Amino acid sequence: MNAETRALLWLRLTALAVIGLGGVILTQTSQIGENLGYTIIGPRFFPTLVGIGFLILGGLLFLRLTMFPDQTLIDEVVAEERMIDWLMTATVLALLVVYAALLESLGYVLATTIFFALNSRVLGSRRLRRDVLIGFAIGIAVYLFFTRLLGVRLPAGLLSGLL
Amino acid sequence: MEVFQQLLIGFSHALTPQYLLLAAIGVTIGTAVGVLPGIGPALTVALLLPLTYNFDPTGALIMFAGIYYGGMYGGSTTSILLNTPGESASVATTLEGFAMATSGRAGAALATAAIGSFVAGTLSTLLLTFTAPWLARAALLFQPADYFALTVLAFVSVTALVGSSLLRGMISLFIGLFFGLIGIDVLSGQVRYTFGVVELLDGIDVVVVAVGLFAVGEALFVASQFRQRREEVLAVRSRIGMNREEWRRSWPAWLRGALIGFPLGALPAGGAEIPTFLSYTLEKRLSKHPDEWGRGAIEGVAGPEAANNAAFSGVLVPLLTLGLPTSATAAILLAAFQIYNLQPGPLLFQKAPDLVWTLIASLYVGNVMLLILNLPLIRIWIKILTIPRSLLYSGILVFGTLGVYSMSNSFIDVLLMYGIGVIGFFMRRFRIPIGPAILGLILMPLAEAHFRRALAISQGDLSVFVTRPIALSLLLATLVAIILPYLPVLINRLTGKRTPAGRLVFGQGEED
Repeated sequence: MNAETRALLWLRLTALAVIGLGGVILTQTSQIGENLGYTIIGPRFFPTLVGIGFLILGGLLFLRLTMFPDQTLIDEVVAEERMIDWLMTATVLALLVVYAALLESLGYVLATTIFFALNSRVLGSRRLRRDVLIGFAIGIAVYLFFTRLLGVRLPAGLLSGLL
Repeated sequence: MEVFQQLLIGFSHALTPQYLLLAAIGVTIGTAVGVLPGIGPALTVALLLPLTYNFDPTGALIMFAGIYYGGMYGGSTTSILLNTPGESASVATTLEGFAMATSGRAGAALATAAIGSFVAGTLSTLLLTFTAPWLARAALLFQPADYFALTVLAFVSVTALVGSSLLRGMISLFIGLFFGLIGIDVLSGQVRYTFGVVELLDGIDVVVVAVGLFAVGEALFVASQFRQRREEVLAVRSRIGMNREEWRRSWPAWLRGALIGFPLGALPAGGAEIPTFLSYTLEKRLSKHPDEWGRGAIEGVAGPEAANNAAFSGVLVPLLTLGLPTSATAAILLAAFQIYNLQPGPLLFQKAPDLVWTLIASLYVGNVMLLILNLPLIRIWIKILTIPRSLLYSGILVFGTLGVYSMSNSFIDVLLMYGIGVIGFFMRRFRIPIGPAILGLILMPLAEAHFRRALAISQGDLSVFVTRPIALSLLLATLVAIILPYLPVLINRLTGKRTPAGRLVFGQGEED
């Protein structure tokens, strides 16, 4: 598949996703209890409206991509599709999830140091020692500022004896 | 003369050391995020919201207003020196500003931007001072049906006028509306769209959505396109200042920019982007030096920069008097008011006059601070631009995660935020603007409540929306907002001319 076909496929999938979301919203409205109380319009009215809106908008987007193609949009997406680096995007996302998962056990300072250094490296920085130091500085400054000055709890983790 | 008295009282509060300090912190942070590409005032205010829960509301709002204002000043520096707009409201500035910088006139461009921002900012704050109380009194006549019509107008005009496609703007708006539905319905107590996740019962916090869509979405998008990014900051060798000729050509552009920016900011039309482009076009038309355009015409920097600052004061008018946000940042400011149990609207001027007038007085003060920050101290901000992109985006992700995690130390909240970030990534890829989603999220509960209340009052009679003159005229204005962008095409069709021009586009809707 070349970039053009891929870009068009992505855009059509987006249109289908919008329609699909509309479908989910509409089918899930039946899960909302219909308790009118003292109001005339119940809690299902706006969800139904939003769901129908998604169906219409997704349909229109699909038409805009097939029958009356929006060439500017397609060209822009094609240009980006040529450049796209999925590996880097996925790595950044994975690092983020690991970072959030390790916050509690490693503690805020250490998790932040590791995340900052690794993520900067993924994004092209080649000075690991500097990045570790900056990450640590941010981590410790934020930790002390939040816990000592603002009274917001952050996990101390492995460093709990020291901080 | 009541206004003067109240303004004086406002100044007496705003000039106390505590509020001066908060204003200074606000404008400094604002300038920094304005200078840095990738983060803007909307994200910054959202990140700081959880930290200010315990603040006194006046102080917090002074700081937030400073951030919004500072963002407008700071954005110009990036536009001029990097050819990348620091904020969406500075896109127009890049056109002539970068051309001036490449021809060695960066100093004059930075000076006209900063002084123009100050002139327009002060002028428009004056306009705000006198129009807001008047509009607040008029707004006392509003009933739920009118408020509902007003939110519809805001939804549609922000979506229709900003961004290159009405369709994609609407998709963004509906994503926001859907997020706004999640959680317990206030009026009936029913649970909606939580999919069994307990954390969703209270609804999705605006901080989670804003950080996800703006910070994580942007960082993932930049990562996906990283290979092609090569940017160079132009050195400023010349003196920061203007010669007599440049002054003479700047000041009419500043005044025109201010006069365009303020009313357009006040209309529900998406904040500062539209006025900057209008000002740019106007200056180009009026210019006595048409040959200079594209090679660094100073009016092309002076006008838009004045317009975007004036638009900020304009945005505050509907926000303070009607409780109606007209840009993503204003929507987050509205969320801030709600956190402090303050409902912006006509009653705010009666219930909390001290807060309102202190806030307005602090805008005058903030403008002076920003002039100092952006003229003598401009070289500090230029240094900030040399931070490597890899470190900048790692930092944005660290602070974004911190903002959400610190709210309740919840791993689920953070994951939800990353998930919304993935949505934000795809929205950027497919040119779906972010602003309308934020507006939809924050206005959805209000729109629904007003609608249901209006029908409760009218006992189910839908005609209440067309029989009340205020509601009807607002709904008609909504119709105009939808049709307006297509007007040139329609006129051409009717007169038989064929032009390739599509709908009018007023901006890209990429407010961050």
